[in-house]
Amino acid sequence: MKRRLNFWLVGLFVVMSLLVGFTLDGPGLAKGEEAMITVLNPRGKPPSITLVPMAPRLDTLDGKTVYFVDIRFPGTETFIREMMAWFNKNMPKVKTEFRSKAGSMFDDDPKLWAEIKGKGDAVVMGLGH
Amino acid sequence: MEKLGVPAVSVVTSMFEENAKAAAYKRGMPLQRISFTPHPVAFQPVSLHRAYAEGNDPTTGKPLMREIAEALTKPLTAEEKKTGVLDRTPARVLGPDTEENLQQLFHKNGWTDGLPIVLPTEKRVAEMLKGTSHRPDEVVGKMSPATAAHEAWEFTVEKVAINAVMAGAKPEYLPVILTVASTALTAIPASTTSFARMMVVNGPIRKEIGMNSDIGALGPFNHANATIGRAWTLLSKNLSGAGVLGDTYMGSQGNNLSYNNVCIAENEEKSPWTPFHVDKGFKPEESVVSIFHGWGIAHGIGVRSINKGLHFHISNLLGVFAPYSSATSQSGALVLIDPLAAKEIKKNKDVDTKEKLQEWLYQNTLISYDDFWNDELVVSFTLPAAQKGVEPFASWLKQPKDSLLHRFSSPKTINLIVVGGEVNPFFQAGDFRHLKSVSIDAWR
Repeated sequence: MKRRLNFWLVGLFVVMSLLVGFTLDGPGLAKGEEAMITVLNPRGKPPSITLVPMAPRLDTLDGKTVYFVDIRFPGTETFIREMMAWFNKNMPKVKTEFRSKAGSMFDDDPKLWAEIKGKGDAVVMGLGH
Repeated sequence: MEKLGVPAVSVVTSMFEENAKAAAYKRGMPLQRISFTPHPVAFQPVSLHRAYAEGNDPTTGKPLMREIAEALTKPLTAEEKKTGVLDRTPARVLGPDTEENLQQLFHKNGWTDGLPIVLPTEKRVAEMLKGTSHRPDEVVGKMSPATAAHEAWEFTVEKVAINAVMAGAKPEYLPVILTVASTALTAIPASTTSFARMMVVNGPIRKEIGMNSDIGALGPFNHANATIGRAWTLLSKNLSGAGVLGDTYMGSQGNNLSYNNVCIAENEEKSPWTPFHVDKGFKPEESVVSIFHGWGIAHGIGVRSINKGLHFHISNLLGVFAPYSSATSQSGALVLIDPLAAKEIKKNKDVDTKEKLQEWLYQNTLISYDDFWNDELVVSFTLPAAQKGVEPFASWLKQPKDSLLHRFSSPKTINLIVVGGEVNPFFQAGDFRHLKSVSIDAWR
């Protein structure tokens, strides 16, 4: 009698297991329900950004010296000169100075920046492509 | 200039609007006053330059020069005067979400190469990290999409492992991938010219991890070659912010080589010459990765019926490559020679050593003075170096105008790698210049 009961219990377990297998998609998931996973972020750490306040603006450009700086991207110097020519024609009270930055467009030119800081009031700089 | 207290306006062509604004933000001046011209400006006639100067900023519709004058005089807003620090440390874990949604998240954010990735679960990354003795939180270095123009991001061993998992790499490849990452050289430079990079592995690790240097080495036939090369692209995007179109990637046409970065191993066993890494001063038993920088690769065939020799064919191919150098980067070339072709070349006494072949190619790929000094890239990079007195360019500038100049800055900049399966005496050559060779063993 005890044996028969054990046999029944084992049989019931097998049937229940099969039923569960048909209705569940995975451990603890209902059929059709997708597993939720977490992944690690692949992104590196960008540097924090320190906000830099812009330089105070001028009251007027009249009587001021504006530098027009060509950063030496090939074939664009004439455009910088055209911008300067526009100032000379339309805002003749503005003194303009043209400069080409030393080195290639990627090179720094601290000497020029010092000159503009010392002798200039504003700067217009360009250009690429 | 703004930092020096001088009001400034940058003028940029409209194609670079997103790029210029992103650069201003990253440099701490998100509202920097920038005016835009129509694109392109370079090499356009003066009449068009005048029309652009007298016309409107295409991004605002306002008269360009009035806008510039106003940008120098209009008082700053409270936002423009703001100070403070913005922290941008990314969250370590993403989700929970479904696998499909996470794949979409990675694609939408531009963190993939457009192909499906292996999602970097904590378990997979932990498994990958078994490929190195280095701690996960060790800082490997910093990388930028273009050092002169973009910020550099910091990354750890774990971050490299995450990208290696995404690429489908195995843990035993990790030392190679870490080495490439440690060079701080991106696989996808930001340049408008669509540069590519390539990597060559030398030494015992080639065999240990099963890289292919034999038949089909440059093709899609080998798991290590495929996934290590891919990992470099993915980590370049994710560990430096490279590859954001319009911002950190401006390559006009893009470069198909960037999917895998021509990741190969040299066929040292079949080469008649010393391995490449030994030429660069490493011991034969060291494992080394070498990085190259260029645009493309062309094929040549060593037709055996032509008596002149394969080196003539190679010089013909090299004779079209851009000759520019800068103060820091020397013009160069890379020749990928099948072992069969290398052995054929070695039979000729004029070029039977690497040094002789390099010298011969250097002497037989000359360019006219006029063509050299009128090349746009030479004007941009070599001329400023020559004017600063950098040799040999300063001397080249002084040469007679009817003279011939060397296309490459020295014989040593013509790099020779032996790769292939000896099926056909083929060679391929590219305008790739050697940037760096680094030992892999330190990252095991």
